[in-house]
Amino acid sequence: MIFSKIDAATYPFISLASRLVKELEESLGISAILSPGSEVLQRGIERIREAVYSRMTSVYKRDLDVEILSHPVALLLIKHTSNTRLISVYAEAEKNRVLASLLKEDHEKLVTLAIDGFNWHVKRRENCLLIRFDDYLKTSVNILDAHWKLVNRKLVSGYVELSRKDFSRLLAEAYRARILERANQAMDVQVPSALKTIVEELNREFQDFLPKVDVSVMHIDEYEPSALPPCISKLLEDAEQGKNLPHMARFTLATFLISIGKRPEELLDVFRKVPDFDESKTLYHLRHIAGEIGSRTKYTPPSCATLRTFNLCVADDDLCQRVRHPLTYYSKKLKSLKRGELERRIR
Amino acid sequence: MKEGSDNEGFIKRMFRKYYIEWRGEPPKDFNRREFAFMISRKGDIVRHKAFEEWGEVKEFLYKNSPLHTYYSSAYYAQPSAPDMDAKEWMGADLIFDIDVDHIYTPCKEQHDKWTCLDCGVTSNGIPPEACPKCSSKRIEAKTWFCEKCLEVAKEETIKLVEDFLIQDFGFSPQEISIVFSGRRGFHIHVESDVVRELDQRARREIVDYVRGNGLVVQDRKRKVLVPPLNAGGWPGRIAKGVYELLNSKSAKMFLNLKGGSKAEEAIKVIIKGLEEAQDYWPLEGIARRIWLKAVEEVIAHKRCEVDERVTTDIKRLIRLPGTLHGGTGLIAVKVSLRDLESFDPYVHAVAFVKGEVRVKILSMPRITFLNQTWGPCSDKVVEVPMGLAMYLICSENAIVISEGVQDA
Repeated sequence: MIFSKIDAATYPFISLASRLVKELEESLGISAILSPGSEVLQRGIERIREAVYSRMTSVYKRDLDVEILSHPVALLLIKHTSNTRLISVYAEAEKNRVLASLLKEDHEKLVTLAIDGFNWHVKRRENCLLIRFDDYLKTSVNILDAHWKLVNRKLVSGYVELSRKDFSRLLAEAYRARILERANQAMDVQVPSALKTIVEELNREFQDFLPKVDVSVMHIDEYEPSALPPCISKLLEDAEQGKNLPHMARFTLATFLISIGKRPEELLDVFRKVPDFDESKTLYHLRHIAGEIGSRTKYTPPSCATLRTFNLCVADDDLCQRVRHPLTYYSKKLKSLKRGELERRIR
Repeated sequence: MKEGSDNEGFIKRMFRKYYIEWRGEPPKDFNRREFAFMISRKGDIVRHKAFEEWGEVKEFLYKNSPLHTYYSSAYYAQPSAPDMDAKEWMGADLIFDIDVDHIYTPCKEQHDKWTCLDCGVTSNGIPPEACPKCSSKRIEAKTWFCEKCLEVAKEETIKLVEDFLIQDFGFSPQEISIVFSGRRGFHIHVESDVVRELDQRARREIVDYVRGNGLVVQDRKRKVLVPPLNAGGWPGRIAKGVYELLNSKSAKMFLNLKGGSKAEEAIKVIIKGLEEAQDYWPLEGIARRIWLKAVEEVIAHKRCEVDERVTTDIKRLIRLPGTLHGGTGLIAVKVSLRDLESFDPYVHAVAFVKGEVRVKILSMPRITFLNQTWGPCSDKVVEVPMGLAMYLICSENAIVISEGVQDA
């Protein structure tokens, strides 16, 4: 199948798009493309605004050359904002846009896009698509739904069977990952000073519009037992009953409780009943984990994926399916509990 | 001279003899790998070694007769760089470790013992992480690899290779090697471009697949959908497994079902449904409960007990096939899938078949070595064939008294 210019404007990951970008850059000149009045530059900025304000970018089909060039320009701009939240919002919005288009394509087109854009090993079957498991895994690990775990897929002779819809979702996800990868790569081009001003303006403009949650810097200082994720409740229960917890279980429990504001001394009681309890040793470990002594790194609890591997995951409710970190579970649950309380009070 | 050091000297001399004519095969792209050697019991380790010629490896083994020889599952641009980051990771083989140490077998209560080195408590079975009496972590375990343990390790290995690696993951048998670990299990190496560049997260997905971790058997609304018998992967494995289980006469007893004729009726519904369905179909009520119970049984039976840490570690050192295990004196020998069923480590992995040696046996259970049965016995001076002597000496269950024929 031969791609059209519309394809290149819609799917910036195909080889035709990069070829056209290169040709256009050569014929127009980079400085012209990036000059203040340039239509491409304006369209690039607009793409970013669309991403921030409506979480979905669009495709203009009026001037395809402008549209095709606006992709790398927008990427260049967000890259120079060095704003990780903006980068992830933009990547997510582009993914949403591409996904909407992919869902309208037929099997043959999807296969061609996947091979051309990502070198995937794919095969067509009558009413599904097959993708080689390594290509599947490289992208699926970013999708949290349990449904996307390889163990829940039909895997035969090295190929994973996917519906058209799931195949499109995976393709869109691969595109999102590529944007993130490109945006986080080291800078290769010097930014013209005019662009610097634009970048600064964008950063200022979006300050209040970007989401603020990031697990690595999440700060919670509130202990609410009913908001604890099931895995942590289970570990607490086991410790309470004096079971001998393996190392990873203790580490998880300690890091989690410290992350939500418990002090090492308060945690002594949690571990008091485990068979080999030694007050001074335990306190030493807890202080270490809290970053009070030793290397001064405060340890964060393991992710859901790690907990699953160590068989500590007991995921048994809906919220578990939607998070990939026990701390995220806790903060979401906390919020929804508070909302519920507020609603009750209003009524 | 102390008995211990005498033993080590003896082991080293015998290992050297073994390595004179060593014909081990190189792993793929061996010059991109890091090699590591444990030279003595005290823990002298030579790491970050790399070799350009395979002959150099042979020479190193002969000259140093290491107790343990490892190579990296990873390929590096600079395999000899002393710093892990400077090595520049280029990819890694996919490795699975099936070790009876991590799998429960009832026979361990009979042949495995552990002792706390601090308070002296001793007991049978799998050693605890810490002593239940004094919490010390200094635990010494005496473990043995009996026929039942061997059977379990083989079963898991066959399941892994046939059901998962070949059938589901589509690897060709040529890409897979099975290697006796030298002690209580098998290492399965997959050398394939398909897996070479996979990161830890992707490998964790593979481990979870093989172990059946995270299998979703009902959807978010607790609805149960039964897969068709001809489905691929785990869905088909579950459907077929339940079908076989429910067709067996002891199904009801096995699943511990109450509810007489209603349960019988429900089982018939599931069996009939499985025979006819071409696509997923829903189950409700008592049939749904029976299905879920049966699925749990099937997963426990079909899953494969691999050590997740080994497979997810992309910079792991693993025993080099063909080399000796310093804790048993046995060869980490490659075994073909065809020969696995009849593989006997106490025959096929024995390095020293000539000569006899006088040893003082400290303690040993009954064991069949080179088709001859020995023990149980303790504190006894006897003359035994070299292979068994090496096995007992290396595992610290015997002390050399005199070396018998030197150049056997």
